[in-house]
Amino acid sequence: MKKILCCFVLCVSQIAMAEKALHLFNWNDYIAEDTVTRFEEQCGCKVVQDYFSATEEMMAKLLAGAGDYDVVIPTQNAVEALIKQDFLLPLDKSKLSNLGNTAKGFLDKAYDPGNVYSLPYAFTTTLVGYNEEKIAELGINPSDWSIIFDPTVLAKIKGKVTVMDDSEELFGAALKYLGYSINDNDEKHLKEAQAVILKAKPYWAAFNSSSYIKELTVGNIWVAHGYSSDMFQARADAAEAGRDFSVNFVLPKQGAVLALDNMVIPKKARDPELALQFINFMMAPENAAELTNVVGTGNPNAAATPFIEPEILKISAIFPNDEVQKSLETVSARNAKQRRLINKLWTEIKVR
Amino acid sequence: MLFASFRYSGEYGGLAPWYYIEDGGFTLDLTLENWRRLFETEIYLSLLIKSLTYALLTTLICVLMAYPLALMIARSSKRYRDLLLLLVILPFWSNFLVRIYAWMIIFSPQGALTAALNVVTSALGLEPISLMFSSTAVITCLVYVHLPFMILPLYANLEKHDNRLLDAAQDLGANRFQCFWLITWPLSLPGIYAGAVLVFIPSLGIFAIPDLLGGTNGIMIGNVIKQQFVESRDWPFGSVLSLVLTAITLLLVLLAAKLGRPAGEDNGKK
Repeated sequence: MKKILCCFVLCVSQIAMAEKALHLFNWNDYIAEDTVTRFEEQCGCKVVQDYFSATEEMMAKLLAGAGDYDVVIPTQNAVEALIKQDFLLPLDKSKLSNLGNTAKGFLDKAYDPGNVYSLPYAFTTTLVGYNEEKIAELGINPSDWSIIFDPTVLAKIKGKVTVMDDSEELFGAALKYLGYSINDNDEKHLKEAQAVILKAKPYWAAFNSSSYIKELTVGNIWVAHGYSSDMFQARADAAEAGRDFSVNFVLPKQGAVLALDNMVIPKKARDPELALQFINFMMAPENAAELTNVVGTGNPNAAATPFIEPEILKISAIFPNDEVQKSLETVSARNAKQRRLINKLWTEIKVR
Repeated sequence: MLFASFRYSGEYGGLAPWYYIEDGGFTLDLTLENWRRLFETEIYLSLLIKSLTYALLTTLICVLMAYPLALMIARSSKRYRDLLLLLVILPFWSNFLVRIYAWMIIFSPQGALTAALNVVTSALGLEPISLMFSSTAVITCLVYVHLPFMILPLYANLEKHDNRLLDAAQDLGANRFQCFWLITWPLSLPGIYAGAVLVFIPSLGIFAIPDLLGGTNGIMIGNVIKQQFVESRDWPFGSVLSLVLTAITLLLVLLAAKLGRPAGEDNGKK
């Protein structure tokens, strides 16, 4: 009997030990595997990851009650909404020794004045990734939103284009194509954007936010609307697989969406201490640099720059210079009425 | 859900309170707007019809494919029967999504199937075709996923048939077609109805397959419902659509149950 009890106690303690874990809710393909392994070694815990591929998807999951993640990586407009919902824990800055590494330009933004709840993780732009050989062969200019919206251009690449399955991103791109602001909530302008999208829709193969990296690398798709970090990966994958074509990406000249992703801790986090440890770890220069070197994100960490490969620093779609940055916009949170309108227009697009 | 369909959606998803107290007065805050939205354009109803067509087509193809197979299994010797049934159930051992991803590889423009088809189309002087992201891909996958649900009830029915009936018919001079059409087919109808319900209902509401294989115009009613609850966070309108779908499903099941009742029961009562 004693033996069995001993066994039982051992088992339980094993489970208790294994239970120390950091639950991370992050964008898909948005952290380097080596970084995760190093953090696991350092904290003696496991990192349990869950992924999302759209802001709305993440918000739906969090607000439906799955709020016990330790760290979430939401985009700036989602941070704003989560703060209003009283969903986040204020960050204990005294436990963050790497706080000074973040570039001043990325701190104290309107969505979280004073960075009470959030700290920048990385930034991406939403742009166009393309099959370099095919697009050159067809004489299409990839640095213009007409590549996914203009029917005369699309006629040449019918069925070889995917756009994001994400109302904010797609409406953002269409508004930019029309010369409006991404945060334009004028019903007339949004309807114009809807008309542009509906006219282009028959030429698109699919709404796709999750597997365009693969489709682009394999060569099934020639043009994809998506995140700069994903396109960076598609390019690397295509090169690694030795394809007879190459993948490249470029910012459209009309401007695009800039997404600043942040680290936050939900109120319901299971282990806020560990969460702070992770945030501090991600702000260390070499870890932040690894995110850029492996995943291809823009980096708000000033101290990380010397560790970033010079090749990547030169890519304007990942590290836009001041000139380019003027054409980029971040999405602000929409209120309920504005959201209802855009959702209605979006549902109509999907159904028609 | 019925209650939710009359409420407003909350600021950040979920539902808004259904009443508010203002100046000491109690005011209900309910609306018909969500239901009006369903009928103000024809797009939701036409999508519903499209989804019904997809599900019906899937069911029909499943019957056509499953019947010969179920008959073959039921008539094969005991030795092979268990093995054949095992083969029917085998796909369930792997995850549903994994199987859809496998179809994505088969349908991809680089895949052998599409390549082979395009050799034929180019020989005939036609444009190359694309299978991926099309309604053909959606229906093929729907049939593939739901086929076992048709085979198993059909087999269970066919297996119980009394072979002496067929022997008797043959003795009385019926040919093989007459044997099938006058005896086996009518007796197997309850199995077909049972299978049809098992195939039709899930394929009407499915969203994963159209999401992954459907392309820009391959979506079904299930996708729009999912979109309301997940991306749009508009629970009230999602409830409206779900209620409509549930009502239609219920009606069809009642119809099937009425049809599926063995004819003998009615005759017996007379």
